Amino acid sequence: MVNITINGKTAQAKEGEMLLSVIRRLKIDVPALCHHEAVEPLGACRLCMVEITKTEWDGWSKFVTSCLYPVEPDLIVSTHSDQVNEIRRTIMDLYLARHPNSPEIRKLAEEYGVLKTSYEVQVDGDNCILCGICTRICDAMGFHAISLVGRGHGKTVAPPLNEAPPDCTGCLSCALNCPTNFIEFSDQDDKRTIWNKEFEMLACVKCGATTITREFAEHLSKNRDIPFEYFETCDSCHRKETSLTMGRIAAWTKEAQS
Amino acid sequence: MKNRFIVNPVLCTGCRTCELACSFAHSVDGQMGRSRIYPLDGGMTDLWVPVTCLQCEEAACVKSCLVNALRRNPDTGAIELNEDICVKCMACIAACPFGCALHDTQHDLIIKCDLCGGDPACAKFCPTKALEYKPFETKKKKLAG
Repeated sequence: MVNITINGKTAQAKEGEMLLSVIRRLKIDVPALCHHEAVEPLGACRLCMVEITKTEWDGWSKFVTSCLYPVEPDLIVSTHSDQVNEIRRTIMDLYLARHPNSPEIRKLAEEYGVLKTSYEVQVDGDNCILCGICTRICDAMGFHAISLVGRGHGKTVAPPLNEAPPDCTGCLSCALNCPTNFIEFSDQDDKRTIWNKEFEMLACVKCGATTITREFAEHLSKNRDIPFEYFETCDSCHRKETSLTMGRIAAWTKEAQS
Repeated sequence: MKNRFIVNPVLCTGCRTCELACSFAHSVDGQMGRSRIYPLDGGMTDLWVPVTCLQCEEAACVKSCLVNALRRNPDTGAIELNEDICVKCMACIAACPFGCALHDTQHDLIIKCDLCGGDPACAKFCPTKALEYKPFETKKKKLAG
């Protein structure tokens, strides 16, 4: 265990743990758009910047992205000092210029008192902040269907050759975890469309309710050794089946006891 | 000996106190969450079955989770979901053959029974002892002759 000080309070952290995890565990609200516990940290959004110092640094301090900084013994962290807030405001200012139409960015910027950008607004800008959560989650789940393509101004998130990705199973994890809800998808009763690929939803054999796509179910059953029949019935029908089976067993036991 | 969660459907009256206790125990920001336990009709007169997670040895939900958000707690034996890691792909909901992984649509969370971290609220509030959390004892029968 490592002892550190965060905003004047002592906290304990595991060795090798990142600062942001410790900060979040203490319920201190540090904004971060590109952070997700399921994937490795990347440090793309720069909003989780904190000020760190040590007593032996003679008053010197430095600014680091807390999601990428492993804890060190006797570290003194301040998460909302004036300078840190100023850095965050500058980043929000830049985000507002690049993504003026994103409600999530606007709300976050308002919390830090940035109502209007001081830079030239990019009129045709989209809401993708290029944080890579979607691509990293896709990689972590083992699909590798989408990736960041291009450099600089032309950088985007896209499937290979901008065609319907063959490896995508339509699990929707990229779209549901996007911090700015940029990834478009349509989810109708029996069809799901994402990345220009159409998926058939796996309907419950009893009631017709849908949970996941057929391709995702086939992938799980093949690679994770789960019988495909498990996916063919929805959770509510599964519960009914369970209650009937357990009811039968209970009735037998009752008969046997009497 | 470790405690076990014991369900005895014969004693269940279908009063749904367990549902209420579960919802309160798992409230999010002061709002009631979705219950993890469902007393359902057992298919016979006066028979109710409280359907809840069986914490399977070789669990389909754990196998289906591609980001390892579902892990077994070694102290309680319950499979617990780490909400920070969960990416809401719904694989566990589709995979569970007992239908005991659920989607809380109000709070947009995937939920499953975690035995309340070793002190299940449903068992505490069950008025007829249909749900109990106690060490499991098997009756020893003497062999005749």
